[in-house]
Amino acid sequence: MTEPKIEEVLEHIWTHEEEFGKRASRDMVSQWIDPQVADAVLQDMLRQKLVHMYNSLIVLTATGRKEAEQVIRRHRLAERLLKDILAVKHDTMDSSACEFEHFLNDEVTTSICTLLGHPVRCPHGKLIPPGECCQRAKKILRPLVLSLLELTPGEEAKVAYITTEHHPRLDRLSSMGLLPGTAIRVHQKQPTLVIQMGETQLALDEDIARDIYVRRSH
Amino acid sequence: MFKKKSKPQKSGLHAPSIALVGNPNVGKSAIFNLLTGSYVIVSNYPGTTVEVSRGTCKGIDGRVEVIDTPGVNNLIPQSEDERVARDILLRGGHRRVVQVADAKNLRRALFLTSQLAEMGLPVVLDLNMWDECLERGISIDTGKLQSLLGIPVVRTVATEKQGIGHLLNALPQAGVPSLKVDFGREIEEGISRIEPLIPNGYPRRAMALMLLSGDFTVAEKLGYSKTVQGEVSKIRDSIQRKFSDPLSYAINRIRAAYVERLFHETVYTAPKRMESHPFLRASFFFFLIPVFAFALGYKIMDMLLFFFQGYLSSAPPLGLILKLASGMASCILFCLHLYRKDLRTKRTISEVLGDLTMHPVAAYPILITSLWAIYKLVGVFGAGVCVDFMEKKVFGYAGTPSGGFDLWFPVPFAGKDVTLFHVPFNGINYYLGLLGQMLVSPQNLGYQLFLDGQAGLIQVGLTYAIAIVFPIVGFFFLAFGLMEDSGYLPRLAVMLDKLFKRIGLTGKAVLPMVLGLGCGTMATLTTRILDTKKERIIATLLMALAIPCSAQLGVIAFVMGSISGFYFALYVFIIAFQLILVGFVASKVLPGGRSDFIMEVPPFRCPKLYNILLKTAYRVKWFLREAVPLFLMGTLALFILSKTGALKYIELAGRPVVSNWLGLPPETAEGFILGFLRRDYGAVSLFKALERVHGSVGAEPVQLLVALVVITLFVPCLANFLVIIKERGIATAALIIGFIVPYAFLVGGILNLIMKAI
Repeated sequence: MTEPKIEEVLEHIWTHEEEFGKRASRDMVSQWIDPQVADAVLQDMLRQKLVHMYNSLIVLTATGRKEAEQVIRRHRLAERLLKDILAVKHDTMDSSACEFEHFLNDEVTTSICTLLGHPVRCPHGKLIPPGECCQRAKKILRPLVLSLLELTPGEEAKVAYITTEHHPRLDRLSSMGLLPGTAIRVHQKQPTLVIQMGETQLALDEDIARDIYVRRSH
Repeated sequence: MFKKKSKPQKSGLHAPSIALVGNPNVGKSAIFNLLTGSYVIVSNYPGTTVEVSRGTCKGIDGRVEVIDTPGVNNLIPQSEDERVARDILLRGGHRRVVQVADAKNLRRALFLTSQLAEMGLPVVLDLNMWDECLERGISIDTGKLQSLLGIPVVRTVATEKQGIGHLLNALPQAGVPSLKVDFGREIEEGISRIEPLIPNGYPRRAMALMLLSGDFTVAEKLGYSKTVQGEVSKIRDSIQRKFSDPLSYAINRIRAAYVERLFHETVYTAPKRMESHPFLRASFFFFLIPVFAFALGYKIMDMLLFFFQGYLSSAPPLGLILKLASGMASCILFCLHLYRKDLRTKRTISEVLGDLTMHPVAAYPILITSLWAIYKLVGVFGAGVCVDFMEKKVFGYAGTPSGGFDLWFPVPFAGKDVTLFHVPFNGINYYLGLLGQMLVSPQNLGYQLFLDGQAGLIQVGLTYAIAIVFPIVGFFFLAFGLMEDSGYLPRLAVMLDKLFKRIGLTGKAVLPMVLGLGCGTMATLTTRILDTKKERIIATLLMALAIPCSAQLGVIAFVMGSISGFYFALYVFIIAFQLILVGFVASKVLPGGRSDFIMEVPPFRCPKLYNILLKTAYRVKWFLREAVPLFLMGTLALFILSKTGALKYIELAGRPVVSNWLGLPPETAEGFILGFLRRDYGAVSLFKALERVHGSVGAEPVQLLVALVVITLFVPCLANFLVIIKERGIATAALIIGFIVPYAFLVGGILNLIMKAI
């Protein structure tokens, strides 16, 4: 199986470009992996259209670049996971991460990325190539559900849930029509919070508003 | 609020009757007035009706009793008001219920309709404020609503008296709404398990839902024994376990979802914005606002300068420049604020005003200027001009002719008055005096009882009550009515909520507190709108202590003109400081918690002059009925005290406190005694005493200040005290008085010491 070796080479080509801003050359490959298989691996990569050769320079194809990014991403996410969550020592982190990058599948990678909160940089300070999950998270970078108090005047939102432990308060709010699903607009925050819901304008204590969670409407 | 004493029918509570129910501030009282032809207070403020009013209505089927109830959002009650309304509905014997709804807020109305259906009551749904609904582009398919609910639905505009005929005609068709909310398997199971435990004569489903919601007041009402109560709570707990939310909340949510579907089937909202007339808009934005804003800035600087006038009078141009600059600044700020957004968004004038009056910045200068305008109306025009005219010309003095008065009108800009003719009227008391002298000599005790210059029942008692109090109170209630009906009061509540929280109250307390400036007695009754006992006690205490009533305020404002603005500022500061200090301490000392501030802010509306005048007349009548007998009583007491010579002894006894501790002339002791009877009466006689001693009231400003502070903080009047006893109980009332009297003298004494030291 040359698969792990291919990934290794892809990773090196990519980091070389990242680090020096130059293309890697054919003879570098034999420094990165076992020189005996270097040629065979390179041939494999050419056949899979991961790279092109220009004279002695190796150029990543679009698929190759994508593949390489995924490897780097897995590697650096693994580093983050090992360091932040599992608190592994720095030297073991590097070697383990190299192994992780080869056996993590897409789904697990996405979960790790989400678990870590879509980190942008690895522990060495290098950029982690963003995955699909990160793109999605970026669009909704502002938290989806937030306290009513965090809205600014003029913003519109829908009530998501009310967390208060204070039952009479829940009863009063709900009989006035302030319930999950109700569309509201913040009218003003000072001197007292006033919200508009339908044709009703309601002035509320901050303590009450803090416990009302809303979903911003866009 | 203060119901007209329309006699309840002999058959009493169980006579078939019409009950008016609905959400707060939807116009139940307005409908009540139209149905019965009597008058209960109507205003643009949720919670105006705190008492149940009854009246009779000549319907098509003879005379029926009509009952007005406090506004409710939920018939599974969360507050005292809601409990009152619920109990009226449960008492049974109602032929019909008229549910008054704010047409533009149908969702919340239908929430109640579904509960009325559970109670099994025959209902007519009245969509009131139909005009506002149209203006906002909301269209309600009343035909469809009618067939969905299975009850008559009528449209009214109560303030314009429209649609009442339809309502009367629809009454006989009233039916139980054909709504049945399905609460889901678990809750329905709970209902069916509780229903058999409900005694006959009660609506089973409604009662079961109340019990499931944890409303235990209902259990008492049903006369449940401990074992039945235990059984009910066991059922409730077993259902509750299946929900993560509190059961009452879950029930509300299911009901709201049910109503939401109904709402969407019948209401269509066109994205139409109401607009004011273009000419009105233009003149509002380009003339009224700049002019008003300029006046605002100018006036506020003027008031600031007034407080320091002693230091600035040497440089009049500076004062003028400052005032003009402040006026310009305010004008520019307001215009910038409004032209940037509101002008373009085509909002209506009342919307813009509604927002401005609770804007975080603009609202405060507006508040100060409104207070100033009220002061001008009540303090200067009412307490000054009108009182002067009434006291000196209309009533006059026994023995001395007033010399009559001229009817005149001023010519604008010419600085001249045109006299129409001279009225040779020498005052009622003068003629009464002449009449009396024909019968007896002025030294006769009977003559003196009525016309004595110091304590005659007519010369002093009646004249004070009508000449002094009547104009002041009348103008105050006029101003107050304007604030109520425009919707300014709830906005004031929004502005003052944070401050009120410091003194253990919430913004809701604005209504009683501001009304307290009019009449503490009336205001003590309205403390019922506050949610907790603690808040009611604090509000009552603060009103008795530090809120001068309009009669007193008028007298105070009148004398304030004679001393410098500095002392007036000091007076306001001391009283406000006492209010906050005592409130703050009371909020810490008294047990109990603060309630939540959740308040509806009704739309800003153009007040109806007719309603304001009617309301003012109604309140003034109430006030005179309460005040005149007390004035006469007080005068009689004073008369007896002075004729028997007891007054001298009381003055003597009070001398150490009054003259040594407060530094006032001993004659003022009389004023404090009278203060027990009427606050303003006390103030008046205090000033009269100061005038006698020093020649003019303002001759000794420190003495005047001390006297003012003490009489303001000093005991509430007898009427107020009686109401405090009625509302808070004798023990609390005694505690309040026991605190206030020594405290007023303490503050006065300390003030005297400080002022002397300076």
